[in-house]
Amino acid sequence: MQTIMEQMPIVLNSLNAGFLQTLKLFFVTLLGAIPLGLIIAFGSMSRFKPLSLLTKFIVWIIRGTPLMIQMLIIYYFPGLVFNNPIWGGGETGRFLAASVSFIINYACYFSEIYRGGIQGVPKGQEEAGLVLGMTRSQIFFKVTLLQMIKRIVPPMSNEIITLVKDTALARIISLQEVIWAGQAFMKGSQGISGAIWPMFFTAFYYLIFNGILTVLLGRLEKKLDYFR
Amino acid sequence: MAILNVEHIRKSFGPTEVLKDISFSLEKGQVVSIIGSSGSGKTTLLRCINLLERPTSGKVMVNTDVIFDSEDPATQREQDLRKKRLHFGFVFQSFNLFPQYTAKGNVMLARQLLAKEQPDYKTRKKEILAEIEQQAEQLLVQIGLADRMDNYPHQLSGGQQQRVAIARALALQPDILCFDEPTSALDPELTGEVLKVMKELAEQKTTMIIVTHEMAFARDVANHVIFMDNGTICEQGTPDQVFNHPQQERTKQFLSRYTQG
Amino acid sequence: MKKLIALIMAMAMVLSLAACGSNSSAPAASKDEAASSAAAAEGSASAQAPADSDSDLAYIQEKGVLTVGITDFEPMDYKDENGEWIGFDADMAKLFAESLGVSVEFVEIDWDNKILELDGKSIDCVWNGMTLTDEVLSAMECTEAYLNNAQVAVVNADVADQYQDMDSLADLTFAVESGSAGQAQAVENGLNYTEVQNQAAALMEVAAGTSDAAIIDSLMAAAMVGEGTSYENLTYTVGLNSEEYGVGFRKGSDLAEALDDFFDTCKEDGTLEQIANTYKVQAALVK
Repeated sequence: MQTIMEQMPIVLNSLNAGFLQTLKLFFVTLLGAIPLGLIIAFGSMSRFKPLSLLTKFIVWIIRGTPLMIQMLIIYYFPGLVFNNPIWGGGETGRFLAASVSFIINYACYFSEIYRGGIQGVPKGQEEAGLVLGMTRSQIFFKVTLLQMIKRIVPPMSNEIITLVKDTALARIISLQEVIWAGQAFMKGSQGISGAIWPMFFTAFYYLIFNGILTVLLGRLEKKLDYFR
Repeated sequence: MAILNVEHIRKSFGPTEVLKDISFSLEKGQVVSIIGSSGSGKTTLLRCINLLERPTSGKVMVNTDVIFDSEDPATQREQDLRKKRLHFGFVFQSFNLFPQYTAKGNVMLARQLLAKEQPDYKTRKKEILAEIEQQAEQLLVQIGLADRMDNYPHQLSGGQQQRVAIARALALQPDILCFDEPTSALDPELTGEVLKVMKELAEQKTTMIIVTHEMAFARDVANHVIFMDNGTICEQGTPDQVFNHPQQERTKQFLSRYTQG
Repeated sequence: MKKLIALIMAMAMVLSLAACGSNSSAPAASKDEAASSAAAAEGSASAQAPADSDSDLAYIQEKGVLTVGITDFEPMDYKDENGEWIGFDADMAKLFAESLGVSVEFVEIDWDNKILELDGKSIDCVWNGMTLTDEVLSAMECTEAYLNNAQVAVVNADVADQYQDMDSLADLTFAVESGSAGQAQAVENGLNYTEVQNQAAALMEVAAGTSDAAIIDSLMAAAMVGEGTSYENLTYTVGLNSEEYGVGFRKGSDLAEALDDFFDTCKEDGTLEQIANTYKVQAALVK
């Protein structure tokens, strides 16, 4: 039987590949959900009632059901019901389906945070801009935007840290992220089985990445500390 | 020639009529104080004049320009509102300074944005910006905040914030300066510094409309006093007429409450 | 556009779920969900059977790739040092794909979702040392058996001599893979068991002392317990039954027959024997 030192390169190799998937899913989700969330936020705040009701209804469903179910449905539903497996069976397809599920899910959460941020900026700020002859877009970009960002950074930080850990849910459609990679050595893979120690390494990967994110987001928060 | 003419302004929010046929005019260099109990429509009137609210009917003229006429849709175009509002400076009860800008930044922002629309902005950019900065500094010196120019609003007292807000309104050199209860959100010991600045402005013949609860100030500074009650102008005239010889029962009641308190 | 379609369908599905009132707590719901979708798909697949029963081979050839659903399961499907999938099943799958003139793609799946994956066309076959149980036979189009297997009891080597017959197993606690042939045996023999996620986890339970024994495939036991393996202190004793491995395709697929023919050819020309030798499963080949 191999020693842990001999197994180490094999395990780290697998974990690295898995963590790359985790990171990819994380960044793609952020890249998609941050702007989509803004669109949804504007939708739910729309003065056109049917649009705002529909948006709120969708947000209610997405936030009220587990992401795991949403992912199962998004990945398997087209193939099972319409006999049209739009995602394909390979790694790319699973990654795409997971990304779409995550983006939609997180955009809904983000939209609620944005809504709070936008509505949290006092009405007087907009009026002060109006009486000073500013255009709507000048008011948004020069006055309200930064105040809104300041308001949403703390709750967004929480969601972003949660997202890092939530990426593990993509295992349900067999996306081979880092926990799948670590668990493979519990099940038995590449001559290593029944090994729990790769799981500690897996946890360590999350810890380091979340540590970096916490520092960066903390810095951003601090940077916005100069005003209230 | 009146600088401001307000004719038959009405304003309803849903079924509630807040302003009922208000008319008055204002001469250049005059100070008008609007007094009255809470809910009498003072603030709404001020907001209708500078078009933060759209009057339900009536007409507003600045100099000879009709800036709003409920009969004439050409005067109601959304895109013209911005320019029309520049006739007025507006000082809010709750200051509404922009928290992410310094005192100086607050005073400069609107002019900097407007300067971009000047045709010679690109070629004279440095010059124009220097001029704006100089003006802002001058204004802040004038209101007695020379040493707080680079402070952010949260580092200033309420009185100081309100003075910055006045400087910000002055920066655009409006024809008429509007004050919406400028001292109501302040601790009593801080109202003095704000009133002092306003008094100085009055002495420099700045045209002003002041909605206020400071009766002594209204009496001393205003040329003309309007007492509003329940959405109408109940009584108006010189401070002496309104404060010392009120004709209407409502005015007497209102004033007695204030002189007692 | 695809995303939009997916979203709309997801909404529709969520709504129909809500309407059925079958929404329960998260982990349980996801499993129920998988099962019910699979059942629904079975229905629709059989309804469409005449339409695509002829076309599965054509479908694969048109698409140019045979997608094989597997798990990491030595010696059937596992990775070599280069990350390449090898094993008795993997090597045969490569040859079969070659004979069809298509390339092969191995996809690691969640074993619980194998029928779902198959019916949803995200994979084309399950080729992973799959025991031909009644459930498998009814949900998939299966080949003839190609390998013999048995369910065996795995215990700690130092107490192995006490547990050499069925009767002695009665007072042990067992770990079995949820939904596996091992579980079926535990039920049939009235044994006291706990369900775990997979066979390897069952072995871990025994190694960790949280269960007294496990019931797993003999082929896996041969590869994973005893001298020179990760579980040197474990051994296997009683065989509870004998069973057979087959390859599963979508219900009504013509590929099962094509693979049977291919197995026959390989048997005749000795390829099958040769590959079985490579992975030391020759003794288990179905003659």
